[in-house]
Amino acid sequence: MHSKLLSTVVNTVNIGIIVVDTNAKILLWNQWITNHTGISEHDAIGRDLTNAFNEPVSPALIKAINNTLSYGLPTVLSNALHKSPLPLYSQLNNKNEHTLMLQSITVSYLADQYHKTACMIQVIDASTSLKREKMLRSHSESLKREAITDSLTGIYNRRFFDDHFKLSIHNAIRHKQCMSVFLIDIDYFKQYNDNYGHLLGDKTLKAVALALSQQLARASDMIARYGGEEFVMIFPNFCYEQSLHFTERLIKAVYDLAIPHDVAPPHYRVTISIGTCSGLPSQNQDILDLADAALYQAKQQGRNRSVCKNLDETSTLCQN
Amino acid sequence: MILTDLQLDALAEVFNIGAGKAAASISEIVNDEVQLSVPSIEFKPSCLINADALTLNANKFGTVRQEFHGIFDATVLLMFSENSALEIVREMMNSNLSLDELAEFEQDAMCEIGNIIINACLATMADMLSMRLDCSLPSYSIISSNEIVTEITHNTVQEYTLLLNVIFTSVKRQTEGRLVLLLTSASIANLIQRIDQFLAGI
Repeated sequence: MHSKLLSTVVNTVNIGIIVVDTNAKILLWNQWITNHTGISEHDAIGRDLTNAFNEPVSPALIKAINNTLSYGLPTVLSNALHKSPLPLYSQLNNKNEHTLMLQSITVSYLADQYHKTACMIQVIDASTSLKREKMLRSHSESLKREAITDSLTGIYNRRFFDDHFKLSIHNAIRHKQCMSVFLIDIDYFKQYNDNYGHLLGDKTLKAVALALSQQLARASDMIARYGGEEFVMIFPNFCYEQSLHFTERLIKAVYDLAIPHDVAPPHYRVTISIGTCSGLPSQNQDILDLADAALYQAKQQGRNRSVCKNLDETSTLCQN
Repeated sequence: MILTDLQLDALAEVFNIGAGKAAASISEIVNDEVQLSVPSIEFKPSCLINADALTLNANKFGTVRQEFHGIFDATVLLMFSENSALEIVREMMNSNLSLDELAEFEQDAMCEIGNIIINACLATMADMLSMRLDCSLPSYSIISSNEIVTEITHNTVQEYTLLLNVIFTSVKRQTEGRLVLLLTSASIANLIQRIDQFLAGI
């Protein structure tokens, strides 16, 4: 009665169990394995594990069984490193490559009181947990992306900028390389919103963000929405002279969008002002504050222009 | 109880042969060359193990644990700092996950790699010293260095510790880990006896 109960348990459990003897001949083959191979217990018992299936068994599993039988040590075959060591199918009716079951396998050593030894192979269907993990990971990746992206413009947000800025300063000091920080502000944007409404305001913000980000050529360059209608760019290994030319391109790119702005004389279109600071940063100089001061000067000097500060010479150049 | 230099050298050789076999197995699985070596071995009463030497200044460890029973009664721990464990798995799986995301199946991969290293070392020892081993399935966990130090130094049953440095070298990096064997005094006595028999037979 007890052994009958045990046999029922073995054939009811939701894992695969195969037991082989020291010559890898099959001693036990449970119903779960039959369900996922189509091979009955009757056909499997007594056969060599390597040719019990119609397809090959992975060499890693054969090696694991041999090791377990030789040394009495259990072995695990993780799904991460072995996808499908046994030719098992999740759905037998649809027997093609795509339904080969993903498995996690444990190989254990068995010895009875007469020192007769055998090896038990336990198989777990890993497909469901892998699917769940993939789903969780893709959620986690999209959340991570959302956490650093500005939802309106699609460029990086302030949170990303804050981290990236610290890292950029650290790298520039460490590698003794100059860097450039650009603070960009849309001119008369409050008036634009008042005049055209917030919907058009948002559309303009998106268009300006796109025009600015299209000017970035290197993977190391970063643009983020700093706040409201203000954007920030950090360019590593980018010197003062380069920043002079680059700001001209930025101003032109936005000007060429030709977005009408009826209350913004003298151009009557959407324009930007830029404050930049370039050079080799140090711990006691705030490159961002200097860029902000430069932006203020650009606004004071009439907008649609940039003011570039050079950290190395602490000189200032104004551009129209 | 002490192990002489000769006995320790013999053990170091045994573990290096085992590590070589483990490296061959892992290389086969990941299709890339991996090397393993055991450059140093130390034997001490567990209460005298130096925490700094054990923990390599890491706060957390990815630890694979297997329990051995019978003539050789021991807890075997293979420890890599959490970051190193992650780097090893990342490299083997070509994945780019952060520490927080180290998912279950990557932990399984680390468990398998640890299992291969522990099995190869202990199987070689069993072979060369003619011992029969009886062992549990491996388990993987993240343990803080405090927990590990407390477990070892306050262990009143497994009073002795064999501490081995393990150097794991792959194409991209070299990682240092620890293989720790916590042994009862009876196991140590058996081990010494087997080592002496082995040395006498050379």
